[in-house]
Amino acid sequence: MSGLARPVRSIFSFYLFLVRRARRTKAFALVALLPAVTALVIRINAWLTPGASVDGPAVFANMVLTFNLQFLILVLALFYGTSISAEEIEGRTLTYLTTRPVPKAAIILGKYGAYGVFLGGMVIVGVAAAFAILEADRLADAAEWLVLLRSVAVLALGLATYLAFFTLAGVLLRKSILFGLMFCFGWENIVPYFPGATQRLTLMHYLKSLLPPVATGGEGRFAFLMFKLEPSAPAAAVITLAAVTAAALGLACWAFARKEYSFEE
Amino acid sequence: MTAVIRTQGLSKWYGNVLGLSDVTLEIGAGITGLLGPNGAGKSTFMKLVTGQLKPSLGRVEILDRPVWNNTALFARIGFCPEQDAFYDELTGGEFVTRLLELQGFSRAEAEERAGKALRFVELAAEKDRLLRGYSRGMRQRLKIAQTIAHDPDILILDEPLNGLDPLSKRKIIRLIRDLRDAGRTILVSSHVLPEIEALTRSIVLLHHGKILAQGDVPYIRELIDKHPHKVAVTCADPRTLAAGLLGQPSVLNVQFGPEAGTVVFETRDRDAFFGRLTRLIAEGAQDVEEITSPDDNLQAVFDYLVGT
Repeated sequence: MSGLARPVRSIFSFYLFLVRRARRTKAFALVALLPAVTALVIRINAWLTPGASVDGPAVFANMVLTFNLQFLILVLALFYGTSISAEEIEGRTLTYLTTRPVPKAAIILGKYGAYGVFLGGMVIVGVAAAFAILEADRLADAAEWLVLLRSVAVLALGLATYLAFFTLAGVLLRKSILFGLMFCFGWENIVPYFPGATQRLTLMHYLKSLLPPVATGGEGRFAFLMFKLEPSAPAAAVITLAAVTAAALGLACWAFARKEYSFEE
Repeated sequence: MTAVIRTQGLSKWYGNVLGLSDVTLEIGAGITGLLGPNGAGKSTFMKLVTGQLKPSLGRVEILDRPVWNNTALFARIGFCPEQDAFYDELTGGEFVTRLLELQGFSRAEAEERAGKALRFVELAAEKDRLLRGYSRGMRQRLKIAQTIAHDPDILILDEPLNGLDPLSKRKIIRLIRDLRDAGRTILVSSHVLPEIEALTRSIVLLHHGKILAQGDVPYIRELIDKHPHKVAVTCADPRTLAAGLLGQPSVLNVQFGPEAGTVVFETRDRDAFFGRLTRLIAEGAQDVEEITSPDDNLQAVFDYLVGT
């Protein structure tokens, strides 16, 4: 494993540099900032409307749940995770990596790390900005900061898990985006509402189990989306998500190292 | 000759399609040309040698070590891929520097080596330009720069002259010769015989995934010369020219081309044929506009060699 550290670092540094330059990054960065923009619109509307007030914690909790968790991190993980191997193959640049003294597993792990850190940063900036705008009058309250920290941690864990899952899908499947879309907006967004044990077959179930109580406790306009959640214990949820992440990454590295890629003009 | 690259019964299938069949070769220092028409198996061979593909059968070794998944060996190999593919968000300097960091060099050393490699391929002045703004010739030279920047012992160049204008071709041929003079082992592929001839006298002919012939240029030329060649001549009066040459024993066949003023001769003895043709022109018997050899097309040469 120590032999992997240097090449993983090199690949990580290369792709952290590249991802900032990529055109799609600018588009996704704008999407990631949507919660902040929405929060600003809500705030301005409240200021301009006499007698109106904003329930900052409830809006923030619902935003994290419905936009960041159920949409943004899924989309980011899908497009960046599947592209970890696919963009090199479609762009025919994989040759520049596989003919270097870099194990193929390091390519997967380094790119996964770079994309994870970059996307995580993008999501956190959007969430933190939305939090600051929506809870501007409660910033002295430590409990609110804990809500933010917990939300950010859940989103980071979700991003790490989905990114690993879609990295594996990208290595194994030719039409990984199509599979991913069905998985994200079919399986992951519908099955968690099934009562009983079925919802435990989704990753979303474990993430929702970890969300702060304000988001899962039945408050807010979108609380109906949570009403059938039968949460797992936090420790069990974290262990499950970590195990899925490790297994998906391990399998992706194993499969990628055994695959052959050929490019013709 | 000490073999740097050695293959033994090397074969590769893509599903049911044969890419390479039973290739046994030993390649030593200097330039070896891999010649064959498109689809002959040149790129497959190079990908096997650079560890991008796993042999279906047989062995490929570099410096007596197997290549597949042997990443330590890759530090000693420089590969110039055929495809015109880059990270277009990068500048030329960033591209070479970042790839050098993947070789294990520190940032400072990578930048120094990248600068040296870019100067070698005469791209130093363009190092800060984004790759999407590079011309085809510049991109081809940049691929050479990333191939040589880490100072590898073995260079594998897949169609490095493909799609280049004559000036760029001359530059790259000169670069490759300089690398040979510096003691490198170089395997270079092309489907154009004169390109390979300009680089080396040691040639391996590949066709349909098999070695068709192997040797130096005169040997390959001799093989080719055993077979009839076509020479097309465009002139004002092709019928008179044909009459003047038809009596020569070297002329096997005469055909009048589809274009007006063109006559195509088939000959087994090119020297005798061209000697007589030159005399006719010098005597002022003919006003010749153009002489071309359809046989310069490598596919035609291969057709002769395989008897199709």
